[in-house]
Amino acid sequence: MSETEQLPASDSVEPQAPGPEQQPEQRSRRAFLIGALAGAAGAASMAPKAAQAQGRRAKPKQAQQQGQKDVFAVGALANAVAAPTEWSNSTVRLLRRATMGLNAAEVNTAKAMGYQVWLQSQLDHTRIDNTVVEAQVAALWPQLSQPVESLFSIEQGTLQQILQAQWIYRAVLSPRQLYERMVEFWSDHFNIDFDKVGYLKIVDDRDVIRKNALGKFSDIVKASSKSPAMLAYLDQTVSRVGAPNQNYARELLELHTLGVDNGYTQTDVAELSRVLTGWTIQGRGNFFFNPTLHDFTTKTVMGVTIPASPTSTGAAAIAEGEQIIDMLCNHPNTATFISTKLLKWLLTPEPTAQQIATVSGVFRATKGDIKLVVRAILNSGWVATAPLKFKRPFHYLVSAIRSSNAVVANTTTMIGQLNNLGQPLFQWETPDGFPDLFEFWSGNLMTRWQFASTASSLRTGQIIVDSAPYLTGTTDAAIDLMNTNFFGGEMDLTTRTSLLNYLKGGTFNDTRVRETMSLAIASEAFQWY
Amino acid sequence: MSDDFINDESCGCSEYKEMSRRQFVGAAAGLSGAAAAAAVFPEWLPKVVLAESAAGERDVILSIFQRGGADGLNLVVPFGDAAYYTGRPTIAIPRPDATLPANQKVAALDNFFGFAPALSSLLPAYAAGNLLVMHAAGQTFVSRSHFDAQRYMEVGKPADVNIVTGWLGRHLALTPPMRSTAPLRALGLASGLQKTLVGAPKTLPIANPASFTIGGAANTATARQAVLAADYTNAPVPLNASALDAINTIALLQTVNFTTYVPSNAAVYSNSSFGQALKRVATLVRADVGIEAAQVDVGGWDTHAAQGGAIGAQATLASDFAANLAAFHADIIATNARVTVVVISEFGRNAKENGSQGTDHGRATTMFAMGQGIAGGRVLALGTNGQAGWPGLAAGQLESNQDLRVTLDYRDVLAEIVQNRLQNTQVAQVFPGYNYTFRGVTKP
Repeated sequence: MSETEQLPASDSVEPQAPGPEQQPEQRSRRAFLIGALAGAAGAASMAPKAAQAQGRRAKPKQAQQQGQKDVFAVGALANAVAAPTEWSNSTVRLLRRATMGLNAAEVNTAKAMGYQVWLQSQLDHTRIDNTVVEAQVAALWPQLSQPVESLFSIEQGTLQQILQAQWIYRAVLSPRQLYERMVEFWSDHFNIDFDKVGYLKIVDDRDVIRKNALGKFSDIVKASSKSPAMLAYLDQTVSRVGAPNQNYARELLELHTLGVDNGYTQTDVAELSRVLTGWTIQGRGNFFFNPTLHDFTTKTVMGVTIPASPTSTGAAAIAEGEQIIDMLCNHPNTATFISTKLLKWLLTPEPTAQQIATVSGVFRATKGDIKLVVRAILNSGWVATAPLKFKRPFHYLVSAIRSSNAVVANTTTMIGQLNNLGQPLFQWETPDGFPDLFEFWSGNLMTRWQFASTASSLRTGQIIVDSAPYLTGTTDAAIDLMNTNFFGGEMDLTTRTSLLNYLKGGTFNDTRVRETMSLAIASEAFQWY
Repeated sequence: MSDDFINDESCGCSEYKEMSRRQFVGAAAGLSGAAAAAAVFPEWLPKVVLAESAAGERDVILSIFQRGGADGLNLVVPFGDAAYYTGRPTIAIPRPDATLPANQKVAALDNFFGFAPALSSLLPAYAAGNLLVMHAAGQTFVSRSHFDAQRYMEVGKPADVNIVTGWLGRHLALTPPMRSTAPLRALGLASGLQKTLVGAPKTLPIANPASFTIGGAANTATARQAVLAADYTNAPVPLNASALDAINTIALLQTVNFTTYVPSNAAVYSNSSFGQALKRVATLVRADVGIEAAQVDVGGWDTHAAQGGAIGAQATLASDFAANLAAFHADIIATNARVTVVVISEFGRNAKENGSQGTDHGRATTMFAMGQGIAGGRVLALGTNGQAGWPGLAAGQLESNQDLRVTLDYRDVLAEIVQNRLQNTQVAQVFPGYNYTFRGVTKP
């Protein structure tokens, strides 16, 4: 831990970062940091880089044979959009980045605590009292804590709903907001399709993702490598000596650690798949090393040779695999890849080379201490100048509930809403996880507007949104309150004017207020964070 | 009858029930819009300039997916193959020369194949030369999982776990819009966009185009839309365009009067979800609002038990399927030379029936194509040598000793339609990595 202790305070990690209250160069809300639409040539040249950093699966075999790379790369659009000038408070900016959506009470709390204190408290997530929420989760969905042997016999559709509902519930209500953001990140990074593995994903969510979301990177990779859900999802369970399946080995290199084409060869993929033969599951879904499936002959992965050991025990063979995983986790390319992806997740669609270098340095120095990497990313100088990010549907839905101060008894009714919005949780089929890209999500606004209508009209049921606070004063006061609740007090003038005009355009009553609220949720400004 | 894929409980196939829960997944998004297309599209594809192509140059396509694995052997019966009858003692449909009423035996299409009586409503379309029946068709990639087989069929590339765009989505993304001003180029008649269409620009999942709104009270919808239209005017590209498309699609669909639509030629659509979906597509085609493609699903084909023969569960489903397809023929195809329909299913079923008077997941099945530009009025089937023929159902002819072999790759059929009817010159990118062969599906 000596590296950790030597690490400087977060703000000094990035020497050029201005202080929290210094405002960076102001730009119009609508201004682009980079030109809007890249031309075809520009898009083509940008694409591989974007794809690499995103970690998308990018090399269908056909394309490789044709000598083409990054076939499913993204990058036709440059997408850094400057934040509106109204976003002047750096702590509120931090809240937008580090929570699942602004909530007025949380904004007040954080402002009182100050940027650094609030951030540190979120990073020390286990010290945040979460007992009320967790007690509710346990009461609503006791299955979540059950072992695989019990989960096996529960109807899979029920379990899928429980898994989704608890995610929404915790994201909305947990005071450990930054932790929930990281849970979402890792769940995509180690994506698993529930429809392929069923109840095993319950265990993965609990024992891999949530257990390690703010822990050590190598711990989460190792936990994932023994997760029955992952081993089933990526066909490790059918891999055996003589006929190794390369699926998991490839993704371990390409998606989970080094990044695509980032320091390994096809031979390394094949060799790693041999190292991992025998890593499988038994019974209802427990990790199991099966020596009869293991290839005990010599293997070499990225220059590290594991000598033949015909008499090797299971423990020794697992240790060999973990030796390789440690090598991958400690590889500088992994530091760069994960740091870049985290920068994109938490800070900006287009991190600078300097930002990547800084965060990668922290990653290496701390041997992948996720907390310290996140703290380096969320330094106030960078947060204050970060461009906008577009909320994915899950984030959008959760933020609407959080901002509307809803009383939440259950969240199962939100699962269908999330499906309509286009992000059915745990149902992304390919191992790259739901994309975190503006271009990917910006195409279907209608479903967001429909959700806004629904969310603002929740008068009864599992989630109740109260309109009374908006009706106690003037229409101006009502819009002020929407500003406080939905926009952290930093609503831009365009949005304010249009909402106020709409509110004044009819009888000032519950219906009109809720319609105005729906427009706030549907507005462009609410799509960003 | 179970015409509703989502609520289908008619089969005992647990995988299928599980799958029906994931009906929204195809959305991988509700992803649509030019932006989404850009996001999921191969960057090596040429970026087309989205100018308008000459009006009337291309067909509108209605793509229909029979979800569940349709038993083509009991839809289009190979009555000339004796093994069909020996393998299906309780569910085979009697030969055309049987001494039985027409509704209890096969209606011959040629001297080897014939329609099950449930498909008899399609005889006029067949006789008119507008309906092409294809058999022993499917995907060469072997999967007996509904999920995998549907996925790979829809994305148009077998065994590629990474490809996310659908074949029809790629077609649309590769071609300029038929009408440059159209806010909606394609739609999926579903709650979430089917994989077939993922990647298509200006494309939305719209379960019911007759009630496409932003929600909330109808009397304030227009005013609320106006607020949002103004709010997004200066949004960054492509969000501004996305908002505009959404607003314009509402306006577009409001111009179409779905409730007063009168089909041509006294065609009647049934009240099943399939019938109503086809009627809405017909309404949109007739309204001529620039819709180029529609994807409609029809479920219930997973006939593991009590499938029936000339009558029974599958026959009931097939009757509704055929009657509505026939209605679409009379209503649209007979009068409009610029519409093509194609029907696929993820796989067929075992040649032999199982112990529950049903059939389990198999391989090849039927396909259908319909349109004035389709070389119809015949059954297209190939032998294992690739020449006109039939792979056969006898022992030794079956794949894995149980299934009709796939001798006609579904991509050959789709590729020909995409090139010759949809006028797409980049078919190789619609079906990447596949060396397609045209089989005379379209008229020269």
